Amino acid sequence: MNTVDTGPAVPGAPAAISVTGLFKSYGPIKALDGANLEVPEGMVYGLVGPNGSGKSTLIKAICGILKPDAGSVSVLGMDAARERFAVRRQLGYMPQTSSLYEDLSPEENLRFFDGAHEQPGSRERIRETLKLVQLWDRRNDPLHTFSGGMRQRASLACALLHDPRLLVLDEPTAGVDPTLRQDFWQHFHDLCQRGRTIFLSTNQMDEAMRCHRVAVIMGGGILIAEAPQAIRDRGTTTVTLELADGPRTFELSDYPVELPRLLSRFGLQPDVRRISVQQQSLEDVILDMIAGEE
Amino acid sequence: MIHRSYMIAIRINRQFLRDRRFLALSLIVPFLLMLLMKYIFDSLPGLVRLGVHISDYAIMVAAYLVFFIAYVLSAIVLVRDRAIGTLSRMFVCGYRRREIVIGYIAGYSTIASIQTAEVLLLTRYLFDVHLLSAIVPVLLTMLSLAVVSVGLGLFISNFARNEGQVFPFIPLVAVPAALLSGIAIPVADLPRTLQWLSYLVPLRYAADVLREVLIRNGSFLNVLTPFFTLIAFGVLLVSLASLTLKEGE
Repeated sequence: MNTVDTGPAVPGAPAAISVTGLFKSYGPIKALDGANLEVPEGMVYGLVGPNGSGKSTLIKAICGILKPDAGSVSVLGMDAARERFAVRRQLGYMPQTSSLYEDLSPEENLRFFDGAHEQPGSRERIRETLKLVQLWDRRNDPLHTFSGGMRQRASLACALLHDPRLLVLDEPTAGVDPTLRQDFWQHFHDLCQRGRTIFLSTNQMDEAMRCHRVAVIMGGGILIAEAPQAIRDRGTTTVTLELADGPRTFELSDYPVELPRLLSRFGLQPDVRRISVQQQSLEDVILDMIAGEE
Repeated sequence: MIHRSYMIAIRINRQFLRDRRFLALSLIVPFLLMLLMKYIFDSLPGLVRLGVHISDYAIMVAAYLVFFIAYVLSAIVLVRDRAIGTLSRMFVCGYRRREIVIGYIAGYSTIASIQTAEVLLLTRYLFDVHLLSAIVPVLLTMLSLAVVSVGLGLFISNFARNEGQVFPFIPLVAVPAALLSGIAIPVADLPRTLQWLSYLVPLRYAADVLREVLIRNGSFLNVLTPFFTLIAFGVLLVSLASLTLKEGE
């Protein structure tokens, strides 16, 4: 899987999501501990972090269905709590669990939830959304006959239906098979091309690599928020130079900057026969960061 | 706004229609219970000598059943909506608190109306109570009672995180309703403090109206005060339910 471009980050563009000093405790457990986050419009923005790091809590606060203890959330320039009705018109939310009615069919669920919008989707729009998630053939079957991945797809369809300006998706591809996962990602980037913003949480590092920018959350706070390649570059890169007198290995901590320095030390002598570069994976870099934090 | 409440009511009814087992049970249970009552009373001829007329109780028990079922059902269903996340999704999609509460009331009123029709028919043919002369006040009272029950159920659901936590609240409402409403024991025979407490039991007002128009053959005009008190309870509980319905954690 290739990395994507660093994204259409227009300087000075308004933030789709802006989170400032967010706190939320459930009894002794601090789910959010001063989280700060800025999501520019028109990006596919990933949120990664271990289980219980506060991903879902942050997502719920953005959607205005969780009351933070302190801090503020602004969505599309509006206050997520005070102006939540205006925000919701332009927001599509997919919760972590399917959160649809099991005794109703995907089409009935879609019609019911979409019915609350000011302009409910047309028959054509419902068809095209259900086709996208490959549930058109099963549109009339009750959800309790579905597998976990199919429910997940129905849930995503429900968030996509009214073509919102901002999509907030809590682990949208969990349980979805690899082929369809590719299709979803293609669709996320298509939406992004059309100016939509997609904010999603994921546990899959290959998916994080496909985001324009990734925020790593740990213990309810954001550790880092950068382009995935930039995060990866912060890890250790092992460079092996095969010289006439045998291989020499170097551990570089900031490889885009340090590799040229290393090479200039050796020059482009005929001595260097082979260079092998082994960059740490995004997962390893993030795991190291999290381990450092613990 | 009405449109969205209507969407919710339609959805609820569609779910009921699909759940055949539930549908059958909710019609069979009132039938079995009233049959049981008939059987017990018929086997105790001593009651008539004591001046107890089974027919006087039949309509009260019918009202109690409608009240109880609507109350428990609406509490459990709203708690389930909260637990599985469909309530949150409704909010994010743009449904508002008031629309949700009114939608649920409309949705359950359909079920409650079907049950009301059933228990009234049973009262008529099993216990030979002649309802026809007072059918309008009886229907109005039963329907208002159903709204009160759903409002109470929706309000109670705020205090439960899951379906299991609803159960302690069932006897909390069901037992005082049975003992203090005048259905089992005349309110006048209760100690003074309990008489005061009975003013807080909405079922008491429904019982007052039904007793007057069915048993005493009195005019509905004599019981307008308890009737409108019942309506006031309905308005109060519905408002309370929509004000306390939490949009988030």
